[in-house]
Amino acid sequence: MSRDMNAYLREEIQRTPFCPGCGHGILMGVLLRAIDEMALPMERVLFVSGIGCAAWIPSPHFKADTLHTIHGRAVAFATGAKLYNPELITLVVSGDGDLSSIGGNHLIHAARRDLDMTVLCANNMIYGMTGGQVASTTPEGAETTTTPGGNPERPFDLCRLVAAAGARYVARYGVVQPLLLKRAIQKGIRTRGFAFIEVLSPCPTQFGRRNRLRDPAETMKSLKARLISQRQAKSLTESERASRIVYGEFASEDSDDLEGRGRDA
Amino acid sequence: MKERIEIRLCGFGGQGIVLMGLVLGEAAVRDGLWAAGSNSYGAQARGSACQSEVVLSRAPVDYPRVLAPDLLVALSQEAYERYVIDLQKEGVAVYDAGLVKPRGGLPQPHIPVDATRTAVEGLSQKQVANMVMLAAVAALTGIVSQKALLGAALDAVPARLREINQRALEAGFRLGESAREGLSYPLPDWTLCEASARADA
Amino acid sequence: MSRSRTEGLLPPGDYYLSGNEAAAEGALAVGCDFYAGYPITPSSEIMERMAWRLPEVGGTFVQMEDEIGSLCAVIGAAWAGAKAMTATSGPGFSLMMEPLGYAVMTETPLVIMDVQRAGPCTGQATRVGAGDIMQARWGAHGDYQIIALSPWSVQEMFDMAVQAFNLAERFRVPVVLLAEEAVGHLRERITLPSEVTVIQRDRDKTRPPFGSEEPDGVPPMPAFGDGADLLVTGSTHDEWGFRKTEDPEVQRRLVTRLSRKILDHRAEICSVETYCMEDAQVMVVAYGFTARSALHAVRHLRGEGLEVGMMRLRTLWPFPEEAVARMGEGRARVLVPEMNLGQIQGEVQKAVDCPVEAYHQVNGEVIPPSVLLKWIRERSL
Ligand code: SF4
Repeated sequence: MSRDMNAYLREEIQRTPFCPGCGHGILMGVLLRAIDEMALPMERVLFVSGIGCAAWIPSPHFKADTLHTIHGRAVAFATGAKLYNPELITLVVSGDGDLSSIGGNHLIHAARRDLDMTVLCANNMIYGMTGGQVASTTPEGAETTTTPGGNPERPFDLCRLVAAAGARYVARYGVVQPLLLKRAIQKGIRTRGFAFIEVLSPCPTQFGRRNRLRDPAETMKSLKARLISQRQAKSLTESERASRIVYGEFASEDSDDLEGRGRDA
Repeated sequence: MKERIEIRLCGFGGQGIVLMGLVLGEAAVRDGLWAAGSNSYGAQARGSACQSEVVLSRAPVDYPRVLAPDLLVALSQEAYERYVIDLQKEGVAVYDAGLVKPRGGLPQPHIPVDATRTAVEGLSQKQVANMVMLAAVAALTGIVSQKALLGAALDAVPARLREINQRALEAGFRLGESAREGLSYPLPDWTLCEASARADA
Repeated sequence: MSRSRTEGLLPPGDYYLSGNEAAAEGALAVGCDFYAGYPITPSSEIMERMAWRLPEVGGTFVQMEDEIGSLCAVIGAAWAGAKAMTATSGPGFSLMMEPLGYAVMTETPLVIMDVQRAGPCTGQATRVGAGDIMQARWGAHGDYQIIALSPWSVQEMFDMAVQAFNLAERFRVPVVLLAEEAVGHLRERITLPSEVTVIQRDRDKTRPPFGSEEPDGVPPMPAFGDGADLLVTGSTHDEWGFRKTEDPEVQRRLVTRLSRKILDHRAEICSVETYCMEDAQVMVVAYGFTARSALHAVRHLRGEGLEVGMMRLRTLWPFPEEAVARMGEGRARVLVPEMNLGQIQGEVQKAVDCPVEAYHQVNGEVIPPSVLLKWIRERSL
């Protein structure tokens, strides 16, 4: 039975600003369900976001304290709030460009500092809000408005990056894996220390239509087809793996193996 | 009695010149005086000649830096050469007898103090030559009281170095007193406050 | 409201402190309980002192990865309820411009201490300058008002640190303590008071946090965790914080109020001092360390019988134009010495009718009294 999430939303807001078929709407729902199941005390939850489509997931929708900041610096703002008031359950929700390109330095330093916060990085592999420019997460060869001949550069593997910087909990799931994603978010929130969850959240408007994905459904299907578990990845050659996206946990204090128990993998 | 006394302490980087300035100013404040101090920072401080200046007076001064020093305290030849030209005509130079050879023909009295040799030979610790010199200057001129200087210096150094610094200061006071006794001319009256006047009376 | 000094603060009395140390102590005395910063000459002593002093008073210190992150963390802490600050110098201040605009837009009270050095760019890191005056005023994009104070002594580094936090709380605005290397590194006797005035923000959550009925009003500011469901954004927003990025009226109202809440309170914010002005034909207008050279020169010239006086600007922004205009009335000439190529000179000229002449020095050194003595004398005979 699905519970009504309206209690978590501001009455003044009637609809989200996301394009039809955008992954961010799913992430929004999964995040609220994760919080709801944990029965977090909402007056102590602080959502911090940067600039970009994903930064609008909490702000202004969530009925809680929300800090919608400047481009790239959400983690630094969150650092100040959390350090000053450690009681705040601090969740950073922002996009890949925001957190890992312009804000990459704050991200790795927050992981190194091991502050008790959870960062959700909605990775759509492109700059959505500004019209579809290449990001540090865009796959090699993908077309964007600033890589008309295909992206010549390699993307970041965000999970490996943040895990190497010392994060306690690191996981990657797609919005097409809502149950695994929800569990990971809950695990991230429960982790005492820095938690990072990369959420593959397709952007049909800017990424999909430039990369031969006809409609939102196609974009979702393509993401689902590309996702493989770490175990599956082991049996592939490097070139076979290149077109796939490996999901799962990349750092975890108690290695409770989510992928084995997931139902939507 | 003067309204304002300007002191320039100089030497080379590593001699603890900045600490001398800090301790002198702090001692003056403990004596109830008004004090202001500035140092040469950064590259200058790492280079050869470095200096720390202190302005003492009874009341706050408008300009807190040295205009023309009344007293030059030199712990290296290079610094001495560089700064002696600014010394007031009625000023006084105090120099480390082992490290500085004063120019001839200058109108200001030049008083040698064997600070570094005392530190090396008497205390086996070259690092405290600065405190020997500062104590000698205080005893010689009365610009601050010996009590305040001792208190300020011991509070400014780490606990493990207090004993050696105390010995350095005491040796310096003796050097300064005997230097003053040996003078054939009177020094200007630089006592600004009761405390130092009493202590040195 | 004034507050007696409490646990962890230095007892009242006389001290021999550097300007940077005094600024840190002033911040602590008024209740600063959060510092985020990044090392930079010549301001680092403020951060180093805060690193050991804040834990003693129960506050929080963090050294961030850069100056952008430092100011962002300060803003985050301020919204969590802190009295928060950072300190920096030119290059770091440049990096802070975007979050500074965010602090203006979100009406976040905080204090930035900019211990100015010789710029532009890396310039002369250990040498003095006063080249950030206009940057403090106009550095972030868009139209806004800010408060900037100019200390000239170690005592004032303490006093103005207190004042900066109080103005920040009173007007919900970032306040810049525009110090200079020469004051930051100066050591002087300073008297710490037994009490300082402390202003606290209004945390009422029943009224809107980003607007008020009065066009010049300062709204209340609850903190995260107060249960106010705060909606804080750097985008144009209505009085409850909802983004209104395409509404011309909301944009106009917000930007106007952000300016008016400062400009309409100039009389309360601005502070100047005058010296020997009674019958002065020539008025020297100076600020910061330069005012100490200028005062020395002016007093000397008074001794020579010249009719010169001085006005010292303690507040640089908002510019105390009314005081300058009033005091400048009927003078033959106004002289403005500055450690830059003329940043306050133009503001002075806007306020007075008589000719304004400026002395500019940008060699990384303070302007010595002897130079000003000659320059002022030549213009006062
Ligand atoms: S542009 Fe892309 S990421 Fe942004 S809302 Fe539309 S689909 Fe979502």
